[in-house]
Amino acid sequence: MAAITIALLPLIFPSSYWRTNLIVCAINVLLAIGLDFVLGYAGQLNIGQSAFYGIGAYASTLLIMKLAVPFWVAFALGALISGIAGALLSLFAVRLRGHYLAIASLGFAVITYQILLNWISLTQGPLGIYAILPPPPITLPGLSPIVFTNLANLFYLIAGFALLIYFILDQLVRSPIGETLTAIREDELSAASLGIDAPKWKAFAFAVSSAVAGAAGCFYASFVGTLVPDAFFITESFSMLAMVIVGGMGTLIGPVFGAILLTILPELLRGIGDLRLIVYGATVALVVLFMPGGLVQAIRLVARHVFAAGAKFETRS
Amino acid sequence: MKTSLRIPLQFAFLTAFILAGAGTSSQAADKVIKIGGLLPISGPGSYFGVQDKQGVELALDQLKGGVNGYKFEVQYEDSACSPLPATQAAKRLLDQYQPDVVIGEECSDATLAVMPLMDQAKVPLLNAGSSSIKITEPGNPWTFRIMPNEVMQGVDLATNAYKRLNARTAVLLHENTNAGIGNAKVFADTFGKLGGKILEDIGFGRDINDFTAIATRIAGLGSVDVIPTYTLEGQGLKITEALTQVGIVKGGGGKAIQLGAIWLPFGFEQKAGKAAIGYIRIVQFDPTDQRAVVRDFIKGFKTKFNGDPTHLNAHAYDQIMLIADVVRRGAKDAQSIRDGLAATKDFSGVTGSVEFDKTNQNIKMDTVHYMETKPDLSWESLKWN
Amino acid sequence: MLIVILQQGINGIVVGSLYVLVALGLTLIYGVLVQINFAHADIVTLGAFAAYFVAQLLSGNYFIGIAVALIVGGVLGWLINAAIFAPLRERGSELLPLIATIGISIMLQNAMLLLFGPIPYAFNTPYSSKVIHIGSLFFTLQNLLIILVSAATIALLYAFMKFTFLGKALRAVSQDRETAALMGINPNFLIMLTFIIASALAGMSGALLGPVLVLTPFAGTSVIVKAFAIVIIGGFGNVEGTIIAGLIVGLIESYTTQFLDPGLIDIAVFALLLVMLAVRPTGLIAEKRAENV
Repeated sequence: MAAITIALLPLIFPSSYWRTNLIVCAINVLLAIGLDFVLGYAGQLNIGQSAFYGIGAYASTLLIMKLAVPFWVAFALGALISGIAGALLSLFAVRLRGHYLAIASLGFAVITYQILLNWISLTQGPLGIYAILPPPPITLPGLSPIVFTNLANLFYLIAGFALLIYFILDQLVRSPIGETLTAIREDELSAASLGIDAPKWKAFAFAVSSAVAGAAGCFYASFVGTLVPDAFFITESFSMLAMVIVGGMGTLIGPVFGAILLTILPELLRGIGDLRLIVYGATVALVVLFMPGGLVQAIRLVARHVFAAGAKFETRS
Repeated sequence: MKTSLRIPLQFAFLTAFILAGAGTSSQAADKVIKIGGLLPISGPGSYFGVQDKQGVELALDQLKGGVNGYKFEVQYEDSACSPLPATQAAKRLLDQYQPDVVIGEECSDATLAVMPLMDQAKVPLLNAGSSSIKITEPGNPWTFRIMPNEVMQGVDLATNAYKRLNARTAVLLHENTNAGIGNAKVFADTFGKLGGKILEDIGFGRDINDFTAIATRIAGLGSVDVIPTYTLEGQGLKITEALTQVGIVKGGGGKAIQLGAIWLPFGFEQKAGKAAIGYIRIVQFDPTDQRAVVRDFIKGFKTKFNGDPTHLNAHAYDQIMLIADVVRRGAKDAQSIRDGLAATKDFSGVTGSVEFDKTNQNIKMDTVHYMETKPDLSWESLKWN
Repeated sequence: MLIVILQQGINGIVVGSLYVLVALGLTLIYGVLVQINFAHADIVTLGAFAAYFVAQLLSGNYFIGIAVALIVGGVLGWLINAAIFAPLRERGSELLPLIATIGISIMLQNAMLLLFGPIPYAFNTPYSSKVIHIGSLFFTLQNLLIILVSAATIALLYAFMKFTFLGKALRAVSQDRETAALMGINPNFLIMLTFIIASALAGMSGALLGPVLVLTPFAGTSVIVKAFAIVIIGGFGNVEGTIIAGLIVGLIESYTTQFLDPGLIDIAVFALLLVMLAVRPTGLIAEKRAENV
């Protein structure tokens, strides 16, 4: 069903502006579900996701532009490098929990940002990298090449990839690995007494989550065409966090809704001009206060009322 | 009158009104020049956007009567000084508003990100805020810049420092942004080629509030002739104060002269006080300029906004006035505005004259004004150009 | 060279005391509440603006401005506690209030942007331009004021915590909330009190720092992340640790500026943070908080 929705969306929105927003949505969905895996399922307070997003973006772009690595190889390497970075952070912070882990991850994100900013000979720093190309055209037998300067095609590519990742994460979560992670989330000490090697699985969760963020980073670079370190400032971590929470942490579909809502909301609010960000901030705060399960909780509540009303109607007639 | 007749009659009147109104308004709607304002309105970049809007509003006020029968209309979209939001804002502008010309952005990376979009949409982009040479160097037919770029400013400043001020040693101080790094590099290259020595190149983040440590470091370097400083108003103030406290610059009893480019508005001295004495810098708007167009602009601005105009106000004002000039010469849509801009000669704006070269960069050096801060904190125009 | 090193030492202590002021409120809240308030930085900024307007426009005394900022901070702290932390207390989540305060922070910043605009304000006090010289070394009177007021505040806080009933009750709540409740102490009231005190501190810091910071609605964010780092390096909830950590961070800043590059300051500070977390997560001065590590 999701595939059909994805297929239809660019057709409903033929304008360049809305297709751009769809692509940003797709990238954000990818970031959000990746973050939720380590945050909601493994229970690790990771607020440094912007670092892995940036590492993936810069690694893949530099590989392509400086070493002429083919796009998809660079894409895989970018995700891999981010994943390794995530695993390293986890192993480094193996004994940390709660707020300590949160600040450690934030510190890691700050350091990463500063390296991207200051290592000008490698990353160009604030001067930026320009004219980054979209993914190269894909030629399938019998069809004309699929070109990614076409926004609709790019959307299908990214959204399709997001769907694939969603599927993979969903399978992981339902598998014994998912149970292991949940056990670690609920009570790490007890999990250890059950023989679970918490450090290994935490590193795994981090690695998966960061690799997904790295992949999103590669897409970001090839979509926007311009890479500057400011795009990976720590406020990006907070945006991703907000998407996960507002959508519904600990569910996979929640972050999808959260990402879509928090991407589209600022665009819709452009009309109200200066109040835009105030409304955005208020939305985040209010959702947390009154609907901590996020949109998923809200939808369930609505569904329950609708069904209850329907049941009442049936019994009456 | 009977009810049955009244309603149709009212309806007829209403329809007549609407048609008449629509008639006149559609006539006016036909002759509108739509200007897109791609400016940072949120976040720290709003420092630029807020002032740009003022300049635009003043210009629109003065053009109320229209130009050649065309009414001028502006729609702003928030580009937030950053590539992705700028891309989204530009697309929204192009898709939904369909402007004939766009003014913006301020930050070089945002401008560079939207240039290809303007190209594709065949809408001219008139820029007055980004200094990176990359914006005009490739020679894009749809991008125009009226402000002197980093090369024009840097080469001129370094040459003047070496020749007129006899400076032989310099310490570069710049914010770690595209504009800061780019401008500093041009100065360093030129100054070095002339035979000057760059003692240190100190870059700092935009989150630094206290510059005493940096000033102390410079003080420990020995004899420094000039300190080219590339930064915005807020940090610029702190830097000047710190340099004075350490006693290096003229305002603090030392001998080094602070040089500047990038965005220190008139009114800076009033905030910095004695620390600013002796500061020589390039400004893009000279409030002591005696040309009528400048005097009128200042008067109009003071009346409307109750304050002194800065170069940001002036740039935005010039952007609108230049478009008006182009329309006066017969342009009426995106393509003709583009051609009109390219053909501009002898346009006299409040920031200086405008004439574009083959890469659509304004090459008139009278846009590079030099000012020195006098002991009474007023500006003296140095007339080096 | 020796003069330069000494001067950078002074500069470091000055910058450090700036950070300590901001971090103190954070550490207090964390100590009692085990919560992070991301809007703390914006309370500091708001305090600075409040003091600015009182001192400059209403041509009031600077010290009245400081007092006003203190009150503004306290009120804001009470509001944030009542609106966010109190309702979410039962849920026991560490993350939800953090996110909510991020939302509040965005709202506050943009509200200030609407009210005050993005152009930096030049907040001058009678002390900010007066320079004290000791030989070739120098610092401004404003800096001295910051250090003196910080010291006085810390001393007062210390006395409050150690000698008054309320102070002891606060410490009880921070060590073991349930037992404290059993002993008849009302934790919710005390938590509210902590918030008000910490936020009033934040407001007051803003008033003191206003002349030193680049005063825009984004002023707080330029220091908040380092403030968090300091709170951790010093030990969450530990006042002495925060002070030492703050001064160390200030010194790192000035010596990194002198011998390396100002652009590397953040890397140096956060590298220290990560090292501390790896080696001694409870902070410089060990806390008895066992459950997190």
